[in-house]
Amino acid sequence: MIDDEALIAALSLAAGRDPVPAGVPAAARHAYTRRTPGAVTAGRVGVPAASGIRSGGGPRLLRFAAAGLAVDVEITVTDGLVDLAGQVTPVPAPGAHVEIRTLHLGQTRALSETGHFAATGLPPGWFSIVCHRPSGPPIATSWARIRP
Amino acid sequence: MASPLYDPDPPYDPGPAPPGGSVVTEAPEHARLLRAAAVGDHTAWDGLVERFSPAMWASARAYGLSAADADDAVQGAWLRLLESLHSIRDPRGVGRWLVTTTRREALRLLRERRGEHLTGEESPPDRQQPDAAALVLDTERADLLWRAVASLSEPCRTLLSLLATAPGTGMQQIATRLGMPRGSVGPTRARCLRRLRTLVEEETLP
Repeated sequence: MIDDEALIAALSLAAGRDPVPAGVPAAARHAYTRRTPGAVTAGRVGVPAASGIRSGGGPRLLRFAAAGLAVDVEITVTDGLVDLAGQVTPVPAPGAHVEIRTLHLGQTRALSETGHFAATGLPPGWFSIVCHRPSGPPIATSWARIRP
Repeated sequence: MASPLYDPDPPYDPGPAPPGGSVVTEAPEHARLLRAAAVGDHTAWDGLVERFSPAMWASARAYGLSAADADDAVQGAWLRLLESLHSIRDPRGVGRWLVTTTRREALRLLRERRGEHLTGEESPPDRQQPDAAALVLDTERADLLWRAVASLSEPCRTLLSLLATAPGTGMQQIATRLGMPRGSVGPTRARCLRRLRTLVEEETLP
């Protein structure tokens, strides 16, 4: 079925009065550099209601899972910047590390013995975490948008 | 009518076709670009970006999103494509997939703005409203769409033109332009869009 938004979008596109700003396709072209060949995508999965619902200023919890691996990420936004604290379970073999990615930057973190990792002061926007293991393909979480 | 936003006759000059072209005749080329992008061809990816960015932007903005939020929705769709390069079931329909995914991201963003937080999985975009995405991508049909608008009576002609050419125009501004109470704008908007949809779906276009 054709909804209101499709009608408005089609009319607007044809009228050409609200062209796409140059920065939007530029960012989309750049997004290709985030491609991780061979990676398995870990999709979002539900989290228990008690931790899944953002209450007040508390952290928000996202869970991703694929190939028997789960990545839990706790998100806190402080002064407009994003702090991430996460855990990979079950703990991968020694030598595994995670890469915390936005559209424009990537930070590498070694995993603790308990599979924990953290990064602070990141710009808000789209995030994905890739877990690189000594054996097996990398596991990349589905991209998630984090804004204050 | 001195308004820069609405000139009743003629209301619309299609100008040069957007780079999307005909989604039907160019579908094999779109499939080729997708397959090449899936194996590392950055130029092919850029080709997809060039073709579909305008339709994706218009789709996000149609939900009333600000430029910053529409940007997020469009980038979100490209990142979804990046993680789905090998799993798109119909590579020829990658344009519909991108527009549908943009619409879904826009809707999700709107819900977040309203304070709803969604958890869990969602169905893949290629099962959702293919007609809606096809309409946005069909640049040849856009001309007919505008002729349908021109065939409607007032206040629908002016209201639909405002919606399509002045995104972000508030309810109060629309009410002032149309000379109607603010509370009537919403129902009138719904009625005008319903009439336009009827013309489009029955293809009884003038």
